[in-house]
Amino acid sequence: MPKQPLLEINELKTHFHTERGRVTAVDGVTFHVNEGEILGVVGESGCGKSVTSQSILRLFDEKRLAQYDGEIKLKGTNLLELSDEKMQSIRGNDIAMIFQDPLSSLNPVFTIGHQIAESILLHQNVSKKEAYEKAVEMLRLTGIPAPEKRVKEYPHELSGGMRQRVMIAIALSCEPQLLIADEPTTALDVTIQAQILDLIVEINKKLNMGVIFITHDLGVVAEICTRVVVMYLGQIVEEANVVDVFENPLHPYTRGLMKSVPQIDGDRSEKLHVIEGTVPALDNIPKGCRFATRCPFADELCVEKVPELREFKNGQKARCWHAEKIAEEDQEREDQYV
Amino acid sequence: MFNYIIKRILSLIPVLFIVSIAIFLLIHITPGDPASIILGIDASQEQIDELRQQLGLDLPVYEQYIRWILGVFQGDFGTSYFSNEPVTTSIIEHLKPTISLAILAQIITIIIAIPLGIAAANRRGTVADQSIMGVSLLGMSIPSFLLGLFLILFFGVKLGWLPVAGYQPLEAGFFTHLKYLIMPAISLGAIQAALVARMTRTSMLEVLNTNYIKTAQAKGVKNRSIVYKHALRNAFLPILTVIGQTFGILIAGAVVTETIFNIPGIGQLIINSVERRDYAVIQGVVLFVTLSYVFINLVIDLLYGLIDPRVRLDND
Repeated sequence: MPKQPLLEINELKTHFHTERGRVTAVDGVTFHVNEGEILGVVGESGCGKSVTSQSILRLFDEKRLAQYDGEIKLKGTNLLELSDEKMQSIRGNDIAMIFQDPLSSLNPVFTIGHQIAESILLHQNVSKKEAYEKAVEMLRLTGIPAPEKRVKEYPHELSGGMRQRVMIAIALSCEPQLLIADEPTTALDVTIQAQILDLIVEINKKLNMGVIFITHDLGVVAEICTRVVVMYLGQIVEEANVVDVFENPLHPYTRGLMKSVPQIDGDRSEKLHVIEGTVPALDNIPKGCRFATRCPFADELCVEKVPELREFKNGQKARCWHAEKIAEEDQEREDQYV
Repeated sequence: MFNYIIKRILSLIPVLFIVSIAIFLLIHITPGDPASIILGIDASQEQIDELRQQLGLDLPVYEQYIRWILGVFQGDFGTSYFSNEPVTTSIIEHLKPTISLAILAQIITIIIAIPLGIAAANRRGTVADQSIMGVSLLGMSIPSFLLGLFLILFFGVKLGWLPVAGYQPLEAGFFTHLKYLIMPAISLGAIQAALVARMTRTSMLEVLNTNYIKTAQAKGVKNRSIVYKHALRNAFLPILTVIGQTFGILIAGAVVTETIFNIPGIGQLIINSVERRDYAVIQGVVLFVTLSYVFINLVIDLLYGLIDPRVRLDND
């Protein structure tokens, strides 16, 4: 019996009530995160990565906008059954989150010290003075120079990279067990990206904290994640170890994503691979396999019947009728080269 | 900050200069002669000419202007042709009721509008939201004089709780003062409240959708605190702008309401002096109103800095 995972998501569904009726943005997602593990969640824009991550914290307005189904268990406690008050005590304390755009994720009218200390004051029984001291300490931990001076500054006085560090400082201020990072480096330039990634990995090791790292950047996934979940149109289409995903992708969508990454030693006259078409709208979901409209392998079976997520060797899972065939073809091609 | 205020005050000079020329010309090209109005229809031409000479109205327009503007620079706005009172005195005299009325109307506006706007934003799309917005639409559509008349009819005539019209200064006691002002203040405040409530709702909705509100939620901040601390302060800038504008309107434009409720304020002063072609008073009042507009805007701009650090001006 393996030990209990830190976070266990079972058949999570997130529905939204919209003017065009109810849409299901996340449709039956199941995955888990272990302690100290960095799980990558990959997919195009609009495939439900961010909705999944925000559903974990129940950030959508359940009174009017959203409805959740399924289970989200943090160390055995189902978060979807908790009261609002209980949930508030988990947000920022047990599970913290950093967002995509650090420029707009900090409140412009409060000092950064105030914003870090607020989180500490909410979840820990400390005085204001202690909270501010902790805020300075957190800024130092995230590598911000002259933190004593910076705490008194406002977000607009900091650069994008600095602001993302502040976001990380806020997220880590209560030493969460799980950090959800929703494309934390997308809005930053490359050198800053690398620094922020290093910081997240370092803290993950230091605090043995689980991380869900949402991104569409496969390079980042290869660099820091141990396991990967690939999402398409609100569902998981593939789940595997990071090595298997890169060496032996089973789902055509994953293969497409891999091929869309430019290779530095590749032929430059060759056009970069694109996955044809766009993600269908949520109120227009294909009847069979959701990827069938864009899949080069799709046949009648795919259009007609919905494939289940099936398990292959090494615990690799894929939602495709033709996964075996695709794997075989890959094998043959490789054999030819040898 | 101090430099900024000085700069702003200096930039007032050209504005006031242009306004003064505009008022002056406007008044002097409108038909009607103060001298003949003062003396009545029976006056002979000689009498009229004599009075015109006394008042300086026989001089060329530019000379009249120069005389007047030089006086203004020395704080002398001229003397009323009718009451022989200095214009400054009658402005101050009439300003008291107007200011009282404006402040009371503004307080009523803020107390009603901001909580309603916030409530509507928090419950957007619900029946509560729609009813608040419906009522505010009604409030915006009812002319204040009509609302004033309804109030008089109901509270003044039918119930007899409040005086139908008139004004008692603050010296007559705070509650007496209030009793006379409450109905005009409500009828003035209703329109403004409707405006401010809509502005509050829109502004709050916008802020509640921002990423930093999501961050606050993700930190575990309680809903109340998200709305009143994180969102309201950010949403307040446009609300403040509207409040500033309405306050300007209340000072300058309570003409109709003051007439209905017979309050001896700035509005009445303007009407009377226009009727009598009392040039000195009209010029003085308009210049004063301009001044107060600019001043209110300055105060609002300074308040911006207080609320939002991004517009703080201490660095320049």
